[in-house]
Amino acid sequence: MNEEFDEQLRRALRPVDPGEAFTARVLARISPEPRNLRVRWRRAAWIPAALAASALLAVVGLHEWQQRQKEAGLAARTQVLEALRVTSQKLDLAYRLINTSSRPASDRDSGA
Amino acid sequence: MPKIEPREPDELLAAARAGESDGFAALVRLHQARVFSIALRMLMDRALAEDLAQEVFLQLHHSIRSLDSHQHLVSWLRQVTTRRAIDRLRRERRTETLSLDESPGLDESLGLAASERDADPLLRQHLQSLIGKLAPMPRAILLLRYQEDLDPLDIAQTLAVPVNTVKSHLKRSLAALRMQLSAGAPLDESGEA
Repeated sequence: MNEEFDEQLRRALRPVDPGEAFTARVLARISPEPRNLRVRWRRAAWIPAALAASALLAVVGLHEWQQRQKEAGLAARTQVLEALRVTSQKLDLAYRLINTSSRPASDRDSGA
Repeated sequence: MPKIEPREPDELLAAARAGESDGFAALVRLHQARVFSIALRMLMDRALAEDLAQEVFLQLHHSIRSLDSHQHLVSWLRQVTTRRAIDRLRRERRTETLSLDESPGLDESLGLAASERDADPLLRQHLQSLIGKLAPMPRAILLLRYQEDLDPLDIAQTLAVPVNTVKSHLKRSLAALRMQLSAGAPLDESGEA
């Protein structure tokens, strides 16, 4: 009795197919735009990678440029110091020559 | 026209997840009877049922990536369809259903083709009408038991209710249906879960 009633219920509740028109309506309601957008986004996924690579290159380039600037600055400083040292030597020599030539002859003789 | 190879349900799901519209369309064709029938027997109105079934498939389209197997997909469809139908019935308080006097035209109102009717259409129409008089939760439980052939534990998981609630609703609904069929008395299994 129970099994017969269960079977009657199963027959009464057999699935009903709404037909191919239903499928078409569902697919029509699925807007193609979001999918296209998704595809476009997927295609445009290289943009962040390219931006990141560009930023990295810019940072590395800037660092390199700063390093070269620093080295050039150091070289210039060394050159200036060298020039100052040479100039100082020349001035010192000139000062001594002037001093020697301007001393009286007696001083020079007595000192000899 | 290109030859369409039959594909396994898991392949269809993988294709749909990859964004192939043909894969998704095939999934709709494969499951539309299940979804539409649950909606139809819950709402007892073909237009409302079709609208609800379409919304379920739209939601599926948005959620397809979260489903990892065909079995998961089937349980997801059952769950979303029954819960949406229950919510709609509760929201609209659409508790009035076709009366027994209207039952001879029920197949037509539900849009059933003549080929889908069995040898005892009057009994079937009578049963469908009586099921339509059940409250939303016991109706959903009965549908999942006899249309989807789920056991009480699976029904409880689908509807997020205790398994004892499912069993007691089933017992009371079946008793009420039997009594109604034999005596023509009004249904007493109309309470909410």
